[in-house]
Amino acid sequence: MNIPDDLKYTKDHEWARNEGNRVRVGITDYAQNELGDIVFVEFVEKGTMVAKGDSVGTVESVKAVSDIYAPLSGTIAEINDALEDSPELVNQDPYGKAWMVTIEVEDQSELDALMDAQTYDDYVAQEAK
Amino acid sequence: MKTPLFSEHNKLGARIVDFHGWEMPIWYSGIKSEHMATRQHCGIFDVSHMGEIYVRGTNSAALLNHVLTINVSPMQRGRVRYTFLLNENGGIIDDLTVYCIKPEEEYLLCVNASNAETDFAWIDSHNQIKADIENASDNVALLALQGPDSARILMQCLDFELDQIKYFNFRLVSSQAFGELLISKTGYTGAGGVEIFLDQRFANLVWQKFIAADATPCGLGARDTLRLEMGYPLHGNDINESTTPLEANLSFAVDLKKEAFIGKKSLEKQRQDGIARQLTGLVLLDKGVPRQGCSCLKNDQDVGYITSGSISPVLGKGIALCYLDRSIAENDKIAIKVRDKHLMAQVTRPPFVKGNVKK
Repeated sequence: MNIPDDLKYTKDHEWARNEGNRVRVGITDYAQNELGDIVFVEFVEKGTMVAKGDSVGTVESVKAVSDIYAPLSGTIAEINDALEDSPELVNQDPYGKAWMVTIEVEDQSELDALMDAQTYDDYVAQEAK
Repeated sequence: MKTPLFSEHNKLGARIVDFHGWEMPIWYSGIKSEHMATRQHCGIFDVSHMGEIYVRGTNSAALLNHVLTINVSPMQRGRVRYTFLLNENGGIIDDLTVYCIKPEEEYLLCVNASNAETDFAWIDSHNQIKADIENASDNVALLALQGPDSARILMQCLDFELDQIKYFNFRLVSSQAFGELLISKTGYTGAGGVEIFLDQRFANLVWQKFIAADATPCGLGARDTLRLEMGYPLHGNDINESTTPLEANLSFAVDLKKEAFIGKKSLEKQRQDGIARQLTGLVLLDKGVPRQGCSCLKNDQDVGYITSGSISPVLGKGIALCYLDRSIAENDKIAIKVRDKHLMAQVTRPPFVKGNVKK
């Protein structure tokens, strides 16, 4: 399973990448593999203010619907419209083309509270038991 | 419970889920790719969890005519028919296929895995005329080889000419290598092909041979999206003990001219009184995924509910089966409530895609 070193991770199996005053968010390789074929993705509107833990959208596989949660507080700056037409990108490239939203963050320190790659790897190993 | 192919599924890296107590593969490579492989080439499904009940003896036909909705008496050797077990209210205890192995002497019922024990107990409790009934589910494996390439693969692997049998007919084939096979030109995908009943000891061998001949292993996920594209009902979702064949738009599998059978009186009464809601289909006009339990609305009035839904891999649109008020006509546009959103959908009688079976 692919867990890039340069990202931060949440217990909901999302990743967050620090891009200055913005944080890019997506779901992990583990998450896409658990969900199976993604058939539908939708997001809240650009400009929506979100608190950490708020839903910023949903991903749906054939069998399940999952919320995507804001890993930290801020304002939705961008949403990845391409996924609405090509939801399969989530399975193919979860850390690249299938980024989901970027969030303009208020408090960078919220990022520090997330797991690093090694901690997330251990967390996944625990979950998979 | 596990089918005889459980270790094969693991070897292929299948995602295993619990399906009514059975550890079954839901997918190997992915539902969409398996779905398309079946529509375009050939898929192989392990459906050994399905139940097999034999009914034998001089009273076999009489017992079946009492508990099933069709008349088995005119069935010839090698014929298969789709039918129901109903309760007294006309509710569907199970849907099944009946195989005439020898007229008036031996029949095989293929029933849903989750209902096999209920079905057997129900038939047994109505067997005052003492036909011989056997629940053979544990010994029989069932493989579904489905898709346009099935004929080539059957020829290559089993030296069996598919064109020699018609749709909803079967042949018994006996071979040194694979034991007794019942090869039936039926399926739950609309893609054409066969279902093969065999002794579970030979299941691995036949499975491996089909895969070596390029059949794509497919899980229950693709089986579900394939059947949904064809509008085939799934017991437990679209039909159950509180829905009747008339409501489910499946009267083709009910013979009301037959003298008597369990549930007949209720169906006759329902036919006279009329039904309020009937099973039909929807194609979504908006993007989104219709799900079981979503309500259907017209001018904000509740007009029905969805019993199965998914994205059709072939159409790339949401499709669903639903019970709708009789006031709603084909091609009407209605709204469905998916979580907090209303999505537009058009009433469309299934099948949603063109099948590949010659009737």
